[in-house]
Amino acid sequence: MYHALLTRKYLTTKIMPLLASLAVMLCTGMVIVVWSVMGGFLRHLVDSGRSLVGDVVVDWPNVGFPHYDELIRRLEARPEIEAASPAIVSYALCVLPDGRKEMVMIRGIDGASFERVTGFDRALYWKPTTEPARRDTKREDPRLNPQYAGVLNNVFEAGRTLTVPAPGGVRVPAVVPGIEVTGYSRRSPLGFYSTGFGRLSPPDAAGGERWGEVFTPKDVSLTLHCVPVDSKGNILDVVSRTFPVANEFQTGVYEVDRKTVLVEFAELQRLLKMDAAGAIDAATRPGTVGVGPDGRESFVLPNVVGVSPARATTVYVRGKGEVGNAEELKAIVTEVYTKFAVDHPDAPAAGIIGIGTWRDQNRMMIAAVEKETGLVLILFSFISVTAVFLVLAIFWSMVAEKTKDIGILRALGASRSGVAWLWIRYGLAIGVVGALGGGTLAYFVVTNINEIHEWIGQTTGTFVWDPRVYYFSEIPARFKWFDASIVVVAGVLSSGIGAFVPALRAARLDPVRALRFE
Amino acid sequence: MPLIAAANLRKTYRLGRVDVPVLRGVEISVEPGEFVAILGASGSGKSTLLHLLGALDRPDRGDPAPSIRYRDEELVGRSASTLDQYRTTQVGFVFQFYHLLPELTTLENVLLGAMIAQGRLRFTASRAEHVRHATNLLERVGLGHRLRHRPTELSGGERQRAALARALMNAPPLVLADEPTGNLDRVTGAKILDLFSEMHRQGQTIVVVTHDEATAERAQRVLRLVDGQMVKA
Ligand SMILES: Nc1ncnc2c1ncn2[C@@H]1O[C@H](COP(=O)(O)OP(=O)(O)OP(=O)(O)O)[C@@H](O)[C@H]1O
Ligand SMILES: [Mg+2]
Repeated sequence: MYHALLTRKYLTTKIMPLLASLAVMLCTGMVIVVWSVMGGFLRHLVDSGRSLVGDVVVDWPNVGFPHYDELIRRLEARPEIEAASPAIVSYALCVLPDGRKEMVMIRGIDGASFERVTGFDRALYWKPTTEPARRDTKREDPRLNPQYAGVLNNVFEAGRTLTVPAPGGVRVPAVVPGIEVTGYSRRSPLGFYSTGFGRLSPPDAAGGERWGEVFTPKDVSLTLHCVPVDSKGNILDVVSRTFPVANEFQTGVYEVDRKTVLVEFAELQRLLKMDAAGAIDAATRPGTVGVGPDGRESFVLPNVVGVSPARATTVYVRGKGEVGNAEELKAIVTEVYTKFAVDHPDAPAAGIIGIGTWRDQNRMMIAAVEKETGLVLILFSFISVTAVFLVLAIFWSMVAEKTKDIGILRALGASRSGVAWLWIRYGLAIGVVGALGGGTLAYFVVTNINEIHEWIGQTTGTFVWDPRVYYFSEIPARFKWFDASIVVVAGVLSSGIGAFVPALRAARLDPVRALRFE
Repeated sequence: MPLIAAANLRKTYRLGRVDVPVLRGVEISVEPGEFVAILGASGSGKSTLLHLLGALDRPDRGDPAPSIRYRDEELVGRSASTLDQYRTTQVGFVFQFYHLLPELTTLENVLLGAMIAQGRLRFTASRAEHVRHATNLLERVGLGHRLRHRPTELSGGERQRAALARALMNAPPLVLADEPTGNLDRVTGAKILDLFSEMHRQGQTIVVVTHDEATAERAQRVLRLVDGQMVKA
């Protein structure tokens, strides 16, 4: 009983325990904030990495596999699967408008089904929006300008279908590069993209749309040089094709946004000679010179013996809401594919085709950020060990100061363990006060981190989190109650540990000496 | 049967290489209800003796073996928890420098003994009763109007009264007082001694150590501590 009374009294009448609580508070607060920011960062990255992948990916690179449309039908027949979408993933040398040539990943996608699997629309950058980026207080983002809503809607539609309108009312296939590919879209410090050149002006009087002044790909086209591979894996001659740019996309993963160009699926399939074609009898050696039955020499014509079916390299799969676990979905897809491969001997066997979750696809990136988060947490926990020593130091001096009290308590019959418990309890109390304070502080900081950052930036002139460097215009901190409570409990325990040694010292004090202490 | 009887109490302090013998085989016996004063010069070992009797300290081992019998129980060599128990329930200490806890009010200081003796649950269960008892004791020593004051807000005499009330809180059979008036002026000290006399009249066993003859005069019996040994006055 005297423990509770004395703990309360010591806590409320002394400045030292307040300082100790403050130290504990700052340490726990700091760890929670760091964890929240890193965790939010990780989550954001993971979400971004997931954005153009879906939940599960079936992949047979470069050569591709046939009957993918039937595989998609079979997959979509499963109740667990929401949608599946075919794609062709390959590489190309891309000639940029300024003459630069870059190796890019090209992904042939089918706009409509790709949207159902990956939420592709969200990744399209140029579209009307009403929410300004946090720092864009003057609403300078052209996408916010209602004058451009009509134009942007057209651009958005172009992006969704990967086609652009052409004279004569037809639409021609187009590409959607990542927003960093062309180098024309620049990210402003305010957090939005704008064209690197040209000025904003309203649509011209004739009502003609001047896309380029709203978004980058004004009359921009990209030329892709790519290498088709036939169904046997033989490399064919390089093919080239120039596409207009329909829109740009942003996933938030720099590597993807910098090095990926999306192409309309059917068009890329044709370009890479992966569409359905007559299969020829290789034994007749078409194109060579042979001798006909009449004794005259002639070119051997291809002997068409059947149909070589169209191929896709990739199928993206998305589970229904209930299948939260991508691993479960992967098992289902594997099961479907296994049956499919049995029915189609010309498709890769179930054991060798790549079937992976979105996590597997982004394994490197996720692992890197997870490791980083862990590392930073460990570092900060080390720093927090300081808190333990701080409590220890403060308690050590408080025990010295309270030597006489300890002697009195012993004279009144308190046991050694009772005295030790008094101090440990006191340490825990300081820990509870400090850690709860730190948790509250952290909650406040995390939920207002962008305002705080803004304020620091405005008063000091330096923005730690520069949206030109990081991919998110806001610091993606998320306060997680579970993580925070772990840190709070750890803070309380550390204080208890810090108080332990001084408590032992108090318990070992000779009561007689303590009483003589004046 | 004496309430407390000690024999062969020796205590030697070691200062660097020098042994300083303070008690050299002290013998003392106190009957229940007695008021005994132990007179001795400063540094003669009075406090040391009192601490041994109150089981705050242990006598040196040796031959003949030291012994402190409380009623018919030997205290020398007993476990720490037994001695804690003994201090809580059987002994009330009064010190020269009052030794009140500065963060607690007068009332809380007096209640402290009961808190230690009772443990959390039992104390809380009968808290009101304890508060009433503590208030009574404080009224008895004339501090009824100082319950919520901190020790620093009390005069020396008032602090010693509070300390006296605290010593009596658990109704201990034995009160051990170490120079209870040593820090007080003559008049205030006399009032404190009046309280001791009154307690004695009501049957309280008291052992006071002092170097002050006037204090010793109040006692029923006076012993002298000379050269580490007990001499009849
Ligand atoms: N822990 C210790 N270490 C060494 N010497 C000690 C220790 N405690 C007491 N002494 C010595 O033992 C002797 C007796 O001390 P004690 O306090 O018992 O005397 P006292 O009679 O109570 O004196 P006073 O009247 O001044 O209070 C003194 O000389 C003191 O210096
Ligand atoms: Mg003394």
